[in-house]
Amino acid sequence: MNSSDTSSSPFATGDPTKINADVSSKGSFWRAIETAIELGGERLNPILVKEGRQALKSKQFVITFTLLLLAGWVWSMLGVALLWPGVYYAPGGRFMLCGYFVILAIPVLVTVPFSAFRSLAAEREDGTFELLSITALSSRQIVTGKLGSAVLQMLVYYSALAPCIAFTYLLRGIDIVTIVFLLFWTLVASVLLSTVGLVVATITRARHWQVLLSVLLLVGLCIVTFTWTLSFVSLITDTQATAFDDVDFWLAMSAIMTFCISHAIMFVMIAAAQISFASDNRSTRLRAMLLVQQTLWVGWMTFFWIRFEAEEFLYVLVSVAAIYWAFAGACLMGEAAILSPRVKRSLPQSFLGRMCFTWFNPGSGTGYTFAIVNLLTLVIIIVVAGLTAELEGFAGARGNYDWLLYVTLVAAYVVAYLGVGRLIVVLLRQLGRVTILLTVLINLLLVVIGAAFPVFFQG
Amino acid sequence: MPGQPVIDMRRLHRFFGATRAVSDISFEVMKGEVFGYIGPNGAGKTTSMRILATLDIPTYGDALVDGFSVINDPDRVRRRLGFMPDYFGTYADVNCREYLDFFARAYGLRGRERHQALSHVMGFTKLDGLAEKPIRGLSKGMKQRLCLGRSMIHDPSVLILDEPAAGLDPRARIELRQMIRELADNGKTILVSSHILTELAEMCDRVGIIEKGELLAVGTVAEIQRGQVTHCQIRSRVIANVPAFASWLEERDDVENIHVDGQLVRFSQIGDMPEQAGLLREMILANFAVAEFGIEQRSLEDAFMHVTRGVVQ
Ligand SMILES: Nc1ncnc2c1ncn2[C@@H]1O[C@H](COP(=O)(O)OP(=O)(O)OP(=O)(O)O)[C@@H](O)[C@H]1O
Ligand SMILES: [Mg+2]
Repeated sequence: MNSSDTSSSPFATGDPTKINADVSSKGSFWRAIETAIELGGERLNPILVKEGRQALKSKQFVITFTLLLLAGWVWSMLGVALLWPGVYYAPGGRFMLCGYFVILAIPVLVTVPFSAFRSLAAEREDGTFELLSITALSSRQIVTGKLGSAVLQMLVYYSALAPCIAFTYLLRGIDIVTIVFLLFWTLVASVLLSTVGLVVATITRARHWQVLLSVLLLVGLCIVTFTWTLSFVSLITDTQATAFDDVDFWLAMSAIMTFCISHAIMFVMIAAAQISFASDNRSTRLRAMLLVQQTLWVGWMTFFWIRFEAEEFLYVLVSVAAIYWAFAGACLMGEAAILSPRVKRSLPQSFLGRMCFTWFNPGSGTGYTFAIVNLLTLVIIIVVAGLTAELEGFAGARGNYDWLLYVTLVAAYVVAYLGVGRLIVVLLRQLGRVTILLTVLINLLLVVIGAAFPVFFQG
Repeated sequence: MPGQPVIDMRRLHRFFGATRAVSDISFEVMKGEVFGYIGPNGAGKTTSMRILATLDIPTYGDALVDGFSVINDPDRVRRRLGFMPDYFGTYADVNCREYLDFFARAYGLRGRERHQALSHVMGFTKLDGLAEKPIRGLSKGMKQRLCLGRSMIHDPSVLILDEPAAGLDPRARIELRQMIRELADNGKTILVSSHILTELAEMCDRVGIIEKGELLAVGTVAEIQRGQVTHCQIRSRVIANVPAFASWLEERDDVENIHVDGQLVRFSQIGDMPEQAGLLREMILANFAVAEFGIEQRSLEDAFMHVTRGVVQ
């Protein structure tokens, strides 16, 4: 909005003093606070502001919050009663923490990600998304706003249980590192799951698919929460755990952390791309992000391979990368084949630019090539690294070339399956529109058929 | 009106599979003009307005707002354009002020600027008294005003209003008409759609009539009334020999739909004023005692029915 041309607008005769009139009647202290909030609010994502306001009035939030407090209180009573009378001398921190952790995990790992999903999906169902999409908000701001309000909710739930968790520390038997470790990773998991929820919300607008996806998401979240709490409860109760003193443990944590961050960013980018205007370039940045992921993965795995001198890392490296590129390739192949003039304009025009960046352009064919080229690059890196290791007598090498066979086979599988998938997509495109979801399903079906085929014939 | 068109539809097409929702629509709207977009259900009004509002992209053709293409420059178009769709788009647990405040923020208005825009829009749409009312509890009329308020919160120079008067009571319609006129007088360019020509006749500078995705007529309301006349409703009184007169008329190729009511004969004639003058002369030369001969003013509804007749199925 251009504030200088308001002379012609019907707003031109405004009375700005009117807004401050009701504020000035209050005490100066509150006015200062209000001003501070106002000023802070100006910088915030509008969605965050709106959803913050909404949350305070929303039944779902109030109910979850009340239940959380209630459960915390009940467990405090119950736990102390169970520990009684040992609570005075035996360290009961671990025992109490288990309960609080379960109480916290459910809203943070199930409710928050699911409401992030619902919040974005509802925006599309109610038509408010369309209204938003023509404002100055970018689709990325919309997604990060949703994520922001999810984080806000998490923090509220955390702070609600903070006194209880402090109480467990006072009960002794549990160290602060474990508590922080636990809370931190749960927060990370919650953020990551919320970004997944946001992506799921953008997959489809068809009502029946949306219902199916929400059920799947909810089931998925429950399974994750169950395993998550189970494994962390066992970590809490395992008093012998000394992993925190191990450098390798922290290295692994750092590796996981970088993947969590890069995935969270990528999921936000995917969700934003999915809801952006049809003539936008939805793909190039995502492909760059895929490349970043690949680099991170190769980097960490090579590092561990060298550090631990274990050949297994090569297998893990190539297996995960193959699955990753198979999936990414299947998604990329679902992109529309036609570039809008708007996208075309933003593409590199020079020969060099075209040569290097063509595979970053949106499109089904470039998507297939992009996935394959990346996988092959990775294979070449592994082969070079592996051969060097064998020749130099590196300890991680075993003196046989099984890994070479494995790497080649895996890569060949991906190339072949994706190739057939691409062929089917090209053929189907003659008949009508093929969406990303459909492309992924086609590829999935192919893999299932491919896997079932030999079983079927043997049986 | 001089100058560059603010809205410029250029051979717009939008197909949904086999459905040709919009096919080959071109028209221009100048600054400060209120353009009425009229057509029956399923005519393609919403579809073309959505394209203009950058919510959809055309299959072929383009639309320009202030010279910027909705396909290539959607961001620039969005800054200049306010869209009021035919649905409401509501959030749970939000009141009117918060709702408008949210959209003001979303349009990038900050601080004082936002407060000003908010109070002006609330004043203009008479929502002041409803500021704290939850929007789920608003009546249709209040919702429409809130919708209008939202679409103009960022002070756009172009407003696209999709059936703003639908479901409003007569009083609210008049108020809405006044608001739209006032906005246009302030230099806003407005595209407003409706099913009903009469509803828009008073406030529109020009109208376009669309049906089955095709633009059938564009012009001022008077032009539509006149220009499209191929049939003219004529009312004539002959004081004697009425049956003979009726059969004389029936023999003519350019006359149809003859209704006799005592001395009064109504019929429609193909052609315009010269043909009517010719007919009158022939009537007199044929010795009919013509006491009255006149063209019945076509109502807007007639004009509309007429324009759209060929394509209705
Ligand atoms: N998303 C869509 N998918 C398929 N067909 C559509 C879609 N949107 C509109 N149509 C079709 O396009 C045609 C024009 O619809 P449109 O909504 O533009 O009409 P309208 O003039 O706004 O009608 P109404 O007065 O009922 O609002 C209709 O035949 C409709 O079925
Ligand atoms: Mg419509």
